[in-house]
Amino acid sequence: MEQKLKKITSLATEAIKNCKTINELLDIKAMYLGKKSEFNDLMQDLKNLSSDQKPLFGKIINEAKQEISALIDEQKQIIDSQKINDLLKSQTIDISLPGKNLALGHKHILTKTIEEIEDVFVGLGYEIKEGPEIETDLYNFEMLNLPKDHPAREMQDSFYITEDLLLRTHTSPVQVRSLLENAAQKPLKIICPGVVYRKDDDDLTHSHQFMQIEALVVDEKATLADLKGTLLLVAKKLFGENREIRLRPSYFPFTEPSVEVDVSCFKCNGSGCPMCKNTGWIEILGAGMVNNNVLKAAGYDPMKFQGFALGMGIERVAMLKHGIEDIRLLYTNDLRFNSQF
Amino acid sequence: MKVSLNWLNQYFDQNIDKDVLVKKFNLMSQEVAGLNKLIDIDGLVIGHVKSLKKHEDADKLSVCLVDVGDEELQIICGAPNVAADQKVIVAKVGVVLSGNFRLKKAKIRGVESNGMICSLAELGIQEFDNEEKGIYVLGFDAIPGEDPIKYLHLDDYVLDLDLTANRSDLLSIRGVAYDTACMMNLNLDLAEPRVTRETSENPVSIFTQTKNSTVYYGQTLENVEIKDSPYWLKSRLLACGIRPINNVVDITNYVMLEYGQPLHAFDYDKIQSDRIIVREALENETILTLDGEKRKLVAGDIVITDGKKPIALAGVMGGLETEIDDSTKRILLESAIFNPVKIRKTASRLNLKSESSSRFEKGVDPYQTLEALNYACELLAEYANAIVVGLPSYYNTVKIKNKIINLSLEKLNSVTGYSYSEEIVEDILKRLRFKFKLKGDNFKVSIPSRRPMESYQDLIEEIVRIHGYDKIPLTIPITPTQGGLNRKQKTKRAIRNYFVGRGFTETKTYSLASQEAAIKFDQSTTKAIRIMNPLTKEREYLRHSLLPSLLNVLVYNKSRKIENIMIFELANAYFEDNEIEKLAILMHGKLDFSTWQKQDQSVDFYHLKGLLETLLKQLKVPDYIISVSPKELPNLHPGISAILSVKGKVIGFLGKLHPEEEHEIGIKDVYVCELSLNELLNLSDENTHLYQEITKYPSIKRDIAVLVKNDITAEDIISSINKTSKKILNSIDIFDVYFDKTLSNKKSIALTLEFLSSNRTLETKEVDNQIDKILENLKLDLNAELRS
Ligand SMILES: [Zn+2]
Repeated sequence: MEQKLKKITSLATEAIKNCKTINELLDIKAMYLGKKSEFNDLMQDLKNLSSDQKPLFGKIINEAKQEISALIDEQKQIIDSQKINDLLKSQTIDISLPGKNLALGHKHILTKTIEEIEDVFVGLGYEIKEGPEIETDLYNFEMLNLPKDHPAREMQDSFYITEDLLLRTHTSPVQVRSLLENAAQKPLKIICPGVVYRKDDDDLTHSHQFMQIEALVVDEKATLADLKGTLLLVAKKLFGENREIRLRPSYFPFTEPSVEVDVSCFKCNGSGCPMCKNTGWIEILGAGMVNNNVLKAAGYDPMKFQGFALGMGIERVAMLKHGIEDIRLLYTNDLRFNSQF
Repeated sequence: MKVSLNWLNQYFDQNIDKDVLVKKFNLMSQEVAGLNKLIDIDGLVIGHVKSLKKHEDADKLSVCLVDVGDEELQIICGAPNVAADQKVIVAKVGVVLSGNFRLKKAKIRGVESNGMICSLAELGIQEFDNEEKGIYVLGFDAIPGEDPIKYLHLDDYVLDLDLTANRSDLLSIRGVAYDTACMMNLNLDLAEPRVTRETSENPVSIFTQTKNSTVYYGQTLENVEIKDSPYWLKSRLLACGIRPINNVVDITNYVMLEYGQPLHAFDYDKIQSDRIIVREALENETILTLDGEKRKLVAGDIVITDGKKPIALAGVMGGLETEIDDSTKRILLESAIFNPVKIRKTASRLNLKSESSSRFEKGVDPYQTLEALNYACELLAEYANAIVVGLPSYYNTVKIKNKIINLSLEKLNSVTGYSYSEEIVEDILKRLRFKFKLKGDNFKVSIPSRRPMESYQDLIEEIVRIHGYDKIPLTIPITPTQGGLNRKQKTKRAIRNYFVGRGFTETKTYSLASQEAAIKFDQSTTKAIRIMNPLTKEREYLRHSLLPSLLNVLVYNKSRKIENIMIFELANAYFEDNEIEKLAILMHGKLDFSTWQKQDQSVDFYHLKGLLETLLKQLKVPDYIISVSPKELPNLHPGISAILSVKGKVIGFLGKLHPEEEHEIGIKDVYVCELSLNELLNLSDENTHLYQEITKYPSIKRDIAVLVKNDITAEDIISSINKTSKKILNSIDIFDVYFDKTLSNKKSIALTLEFLSSNRTLETKEVDNQIDKILENLKLDLNAELRS
């Protein structure tokens, strides 16, 4: 009997190991562990054994059954995983084919530049103010210390709609409007981005329409040193941490003193290159302390209030940062250009 | 302003280091546009033409033997005025002449030539002598072998300053000298003019009939000898950019450059009277100006008259009738002040900008009028042999005012954020040559008329620039404020981000357009705003719609083989009463395509509609309706276009371009949309969105397909269904629209209806009942049949 058991076990083991499909495996299971299986026959034989041998052989048979049952489970797993592997193999794709062309859009580089500058100032506690592009002579010039016959008006040849209405030549009228709006004369820290116009023929460096961003701070103690510190911070944020700034005297009717602001060349780090015309410095913006006449015109007492203003051309900043040499590219909208940013 | 360095050096006891000067000007005063040699040619020598003979094979050429000091050169010269015994300018072989032309040894028709006898043109300074006829002939005192540039006083540098509008004081060499002395902390040597006057009385009398001339000095001079100016004077004029004419004219220009005071010289014998009357021009009065043009005048122009007719256009240009010429013997010299605004208007109306008018426009120091006149008299006596006849006749209505500006040290420091000491400020004021008194911490500064100033801010500027902007510390405003973007600004960023995320590229186009383009796609009946002084017809009107610009972008890119064009722009449109910020969209080609996967669905109306609806949902715009426009939309396909309304207000449109438009640009299937951002913001929901509970109960979905006439819209079907089933119908989704010939003028629309309750599980029977009712009403409303 023991021998018979061994034989069945080894036959079963071999059959299970060679088995390739679940169906075959089920057949094998029925053959060895089913009601009509050889184990059943052996169990029948068990009855003929003496009562002291019965438990021993019974145990041996059960162990053999368990062994076979375990083998079947193991083989089932092998067959299953084989099946999955085959399936996965058949589903394998060429991952080197191009991915789907999910459309990619682009903000205009001028928008990106404005948002970048806005974010710097918002972080410093500035509000963003906007205003109309068609302005009155009063707001665009007169209240900015540019009376009707001021020679500096020639600096800004303008597009007129009527004698008193024009396309604004700078975003400074938004500063005037903001000062007037601020009736309680609370400390004011604003930036004014927007589209402006000058009567220039379009060429490499001129555009009859362009964008500006101006900043204005008016309170009881904003100083020239505050202006300089703010300028350095902005220069570093826009052109890199290692930048330095330099102020040179200049003239704007709405500020006094007025300065031009140079940033140390970010291409050569100040040693001199074609970009900075070998000076090591690049002019980026104009600034100054708010002229008392502007404060007075807006109803502020210049003995109590003071402040500073600065203004830069967005195009110039974008062109410098990205090495663009022709301003017209910014308004041509060649999608091969626009989609680079 | 161009400044001769030789001239500038005259005011100092040492020659100024030109590199330091440039640096100082850049950082403390005005931007330096350039510092250049007046004549940038090395190696020229003075030659003495020993002898000359005609070239044997060319009778227009002379073969000259020229002594150049250390050798004698054979030089061939083609100038007709070359002659033996002349002192000439010689360029030897190897010299690089103006225009980068390097002189080589040459053989001309078999005869060797070892250099060139130069004309002024070859040195790049033809203006130095307008009488020149060929080569330039030097005086007999010129020494062969020496430097002709030095001989002619042309060995000079030109400092070119870019002047800002507030520094008209630098329109004079004296002004530049003041600033130089201040910046470089030098002593300044300013000599007073010395005039010897004949005791006889000045025969002329001067009057004014206008307030626009406050000062007028008229000096007669006799015995004037018209000739060339000395080399040094010509050279200085040339360095400062003024062409020498003759001694009298040159001296008036020279004094103008030195003092900033324009002068004018009349031929006194050509003036018809002894009375000079300054007045405003009469309307349509005329004058023949120096340039030979007959100028028609208007009221407001200032004229100098002989009592009857104008003899000069004040401050702008003299009259031809009283012009100085070679036979002039007596002159009337004018030194006057005219209203800057009047001068500017006259000069720009007649397009006659001159050195004189540009100085008057910017304001001339009225306290130097007489001194400038006297200096000119001194020079005329010396260089034109003139006799100054008595004292000048004049009027002078300028009141002597001593402008005082007070500046306290505290104010200075609280504005600048720097701690200036009394000593620093005192030193700078002294260097500026401003007189002042210090009382407590207050500086009482008297402002000289040469530097007009308005307030203490101007003084602060002077102190800061001279002390150095680099000394100002770096701080940040300490006043706390809250920054940030407002709702509109945030929304605009959200819209841009949305479109970029959807594959759209942002454009920036011009606001100014042609008349036709400005009102395209326009539903308003108002006219486009016109620019009074446009650059071109293409940029004459302010646009009502951004779409014509986007169409230009489409055409531009399409012609460059870019096929898929999805663009948008946010910008203003301009109307008589206000500016409206608009959003414009243009779609053409394929979006999200993949070539090898054959996914290449071209965009259509429903793409655009879906894009817009998703945006409106994102922006929480409530109750929007996209519907057929009651009237035809300009430039759009009447059958493939719609209007967008929010809360009953039309805020935009969308659709396919009209076939005629498509034909015109040669591009098909263009979809556009434009809406008012202002309205969108006004109408969108500003309130914080409150969370809605998600139902725990399952929904039941039913599909139905109905057969309707072709002209029944999906909207008709949906509203019929909505009307019928209000309570438990959760959503309607159209999943198929089918046209077929066999359906004869009908179409089949298949819908999925989803039923849901927020408080209970629905029963099948209930839903079946609803479906029955829905179908019943569809039949009733739209004659729709259930399709089995
Ligand atoms: Zn550089």
